[in-house]
This record gives sequence, structure tokens and C-alpha cells, in this order.
Amino acid sequence: MKKPLMLMAMLLSAAVAAAQTTRKDTTGKSSTDSLMNALTAPEKGEPVIATFKATRLIFTQTTETVKKKELNFMVIHRFGDIAGSAGGGKTFFGLDNSSDIYIGFEYGLTDNLNIGLGRSKFEQMIDLQLKYYLLHQTTDNSMPVAVSVIGKTGFKPYHVNTNIFDNTLNRFSYFTQAIIARKFSSALSVEVAPSYVANNIEYPFLVGNEKRYFAISAAGRLKFSKRMGIVLDYFHPFSSYRDNSVNPKYYDGLGVGLEIETGGHVFTINFSNAQAISEINYLNNTTSSWGKGQFRLGFTISRIFDFNKKHQSSY
Amino acid sequence: MKYIGLILLAWLGINQAGQGIYVCKNAAVSLYSKAPIEDIDAHSDKGTSVLNTTTGDVAFAVPIRSFKFEKSLMREHFNENYLESDKYPQASFKGKLNTIPDVSKDGTYPVTATGLFEVHGVKQNRTIPGKIMVSKGAVSLTSEFMVACKDHKVEIPKLVFHNIAETIRINVSAAYAPYK
Repeated sequence: MKKPLMLMAMLLSAAVAAAQTTRKDTTGKSSTDSLMNALTAPEKGEPVIATFKATRLIFTQTTETVKKKELNFMVIHRFGDIAGSAGGGKTFFGLDNSSDIYIGFEYGLTDNLNIGLGRSKFEQMIDLQLKYYLLHQTTDNSMPVAVSVIGKTGFKPYHVNTNIFDNTLNRFSYFTQAIIARKFSSALSVEVAPSYVANNIEYPFLVGNEKRYFAISAAGRLKFSKRMGIVLDYFHPFSSYRDNSVNPKYYDGLGVGLEIETGGHVFTINFSNAQAISEINYLNNTTSSWGKGQFRLGFTISRIFDFNKKHQSSY
Repeated sequence: MKYIGLILLAWLGINQAGQGIYVCKNAAVSLYSKAPIEDIDAHSDKGTSVLNTTTGDVAFAVPIRSFKFEKSLMREHFNENYLESDKYPQASFKGKLNTIPDVSKDGTYPVTATGLFEVHGVKQNRTIPGKIMVSKGAVSLTSEFMVACKDHKVEIPKLVFHNIAETIRINVSAAYAPYK
């Protein structure tokens, strides 16, 4: 009983094989196509690249990190008020003044871990940060978002008029942020970034101010050509002191800009109300308002240098 | 009864091996751009190919994202700005050999294949030269050809004109396994 069964099975498989042969012989072309399709079946989710072009939008940092042994050099500038009492023709619409200048470096310890150092004109603050690209968005959406985390320490090296900085510890501020971003298409990327600010002393040192508070930032980029896009950036500190204070009055930050990528450089030209560039400074101390004409021209220049030995840039 | 089974099995085996169809899942594809300021080369080993030595069909495909560059920024620009791999995920060639070599004999056979070459969503009808090599029954194929960026609507901005060549050299090599 077993043998006939086996024979039948063999006959059947042979017949199937024969059928396949005929199909392949008569329609060779389409079988090549179907074979190619089988071979090039889409792979599993790969990490999405270039969610943003640079590590900064206007205020908010992006999820992007510079890769291992690459150095990102940044010059960020904010001019004076365009309009309002400090603006207008006599300051050439703010171009005579600079409310903040930031010079910063970021270096890739690994592809996902960056160390950054920068210096602001605003409060002469020096900041040191670590940034880690925690989760990469994947093409198959098994991970729908990218997440980076930032830890930052700010230090104000110089005395201020009051004696609050006599204790050196009072000059330190800390900032931590989780950036959650999604690249919806090659044109549109959006991010939301909750953060926490901790100052060792209330700053500004005014009655009722909190030392520590949460904040949220939201930003996005919409490309309208391969190399140019519109950037929008917003932040809000969850601080009841800042919500209620009348003098000085605090405002949320809102910035709009144009991002231009030229292959190696990324420029952002923007208008924003916040005077400061470093997160600790602008979250602590944004007292200028779009409504009063206290908005300014600003720009960010970001340039990547590659220090991988094998392929030094030939510039 | 046993013999019939064996004969059937043997017949089945002959049929499968006799297709003349060869496949390769890890074809090496590299591109090379020589320009005044910098030379750029990139490599991928994720190419796929099918070669049918009965009909002369030959097909190649490579995912754009799989190219590895020296500098990560190059890879980003290659995918984002030049080849737009979101929209056009792969480059491919699908054609027919103009002369089919006898792969049952060892040797190196210069061949040409004519068909559609597609990069960046633009199809070009091309005849591409190559070599088919047979050594101890193992079939492999290599090819070197040039691709002009403008033929495939890959725009190079004036600012980086001296960084990227107008024509890119492509090298392809595939070591085939018989399709079973």
C-alpha cells in the first residue's frame, strides 16, 4: 500500500515540475520578472534618514545627530528688534544690534551620541550638552517616530549686578529634553519636544519665580523644493510665574524661517520674538513680543566637517 | 518500483537544473564620480540579478538606499537630493543579451545587453557591455558603463558643480547560483 502511494506522490511532483518547466520556457520574460520581484522583495524596516537637514531648526534642536567623527560648526545670530521702541530706521531695523550670538560645536562620539559645546552672548553663557539618538523611525513604521534625548548644563561665568552669583553653584542651570519627531514624507517633518529646566537659583531672580519648570516645544519643516523649506518653531514654558508676571511680561516663543541646504552647509534665515538662542536662556527669559514689534531677523549657519581619517575632505 | 521512483527523481532533478536560469542576491554595484574638488565612490552589495542563458534575459536591480558612501552626508544627499530614493527606491536594468554564450564551457565571453535602464524614475533604452565568465561551471557577470546625470534628470546645482561629475561610472559584478 505504501509503495503505490509513494509512486503517486513522485509522479505528482514530477508533473508539477514539468508544468513549471513549460511555463518558464514559454513565458521566459515574465518568469524573469517574477523572479526579480521575488529577489527584490521589500526588506524589513530600515531607519528613516534625514528627518531634518540640520541639528537645529530655529529654537529647537532636531532629532538629528552628527555621525561618528564628524564635527558640526554652528554660528547662530539674532539681531535686534525690527520694530517697536528699539527698532525702526535708527537701528536699521535691528541690524545694528545683536540680541544673541551663539557659536557652537557638536562632535559625533558615535553615530548616535554627540557632545556639544557652545557659547552665547546672552548672559555670556557656556553650555555643554550630550545628545543621544535613542530611537530611529523605520520605513515600515514598526517604529513610527524618532526620539532623541538631550542633557545640557549651562554656566554663566561672569558676575551680574546683584550678588546672586557670589555662590558659583548659582551660576549653573540644567536642561533636559526629549525630542519626538516624525518624517511624514520627504517634505514634511514635525517634532514635539517636552523639556525640563532646572536653575540652581531662580532666574531671573525675581519674587515668585520658579527654579524648576517644564516646557514644551513644537516645530516642523515643510520643504517646497529639494533644498528649501519653511520652518516653524514654537515653545511654551509651563511656569505660573511667567504666565502671571506683568513686569516683566513673558511671552511664548514663535519663529518662522526659511531653510536652505547647499550641500554641506545648512542656512536658516528666520524671524522670531525670542532674543536668546540657548534653550536655558530663551525658556527662562523671553520678554519680547511679536505684537510690540519685538521680533528680529536671525540666521543659523551649520557646516559639517568630516574627520574620518580614510577620507579627509580635499578642500 | 524503487527504480521507477529513482528514475522519476533523476528526471525531476535534470529538469530543475536544466532551466538555464541563474540568480544572484548579493551583486556588487559601485558608482564612481570624478570631479575637480572631490572624488566620490559608493558601494552596494545588495544588488539582485537574474540571468537566463536559454532566452538571454538579463535583469539587474539595486536599492538606492543600500549604497554606502565614505561620508554620511554624501549618502544623505544622494538619497534626499539627487536620486530621491523615497520616490524611486531602486535602479534597474532589464534587457536581453544580444549574443548568448555557451555557459556549459569555461571561458570569458564579452557580451552586450540591450534593454531599459531605469534610474531616478527615468527609463533609457541602452546597450550595455559586459563580460560573462564561466569557471568550473560557476557563472558570473561584470559590467562597467557610464551614466550621465542629466539623462536621468538628476540635477546638480551650480554650487556643487565641481564636486560631482556629470557622468558617473558604474561597475556591476554578480556571481550567480543556478536557480532551483
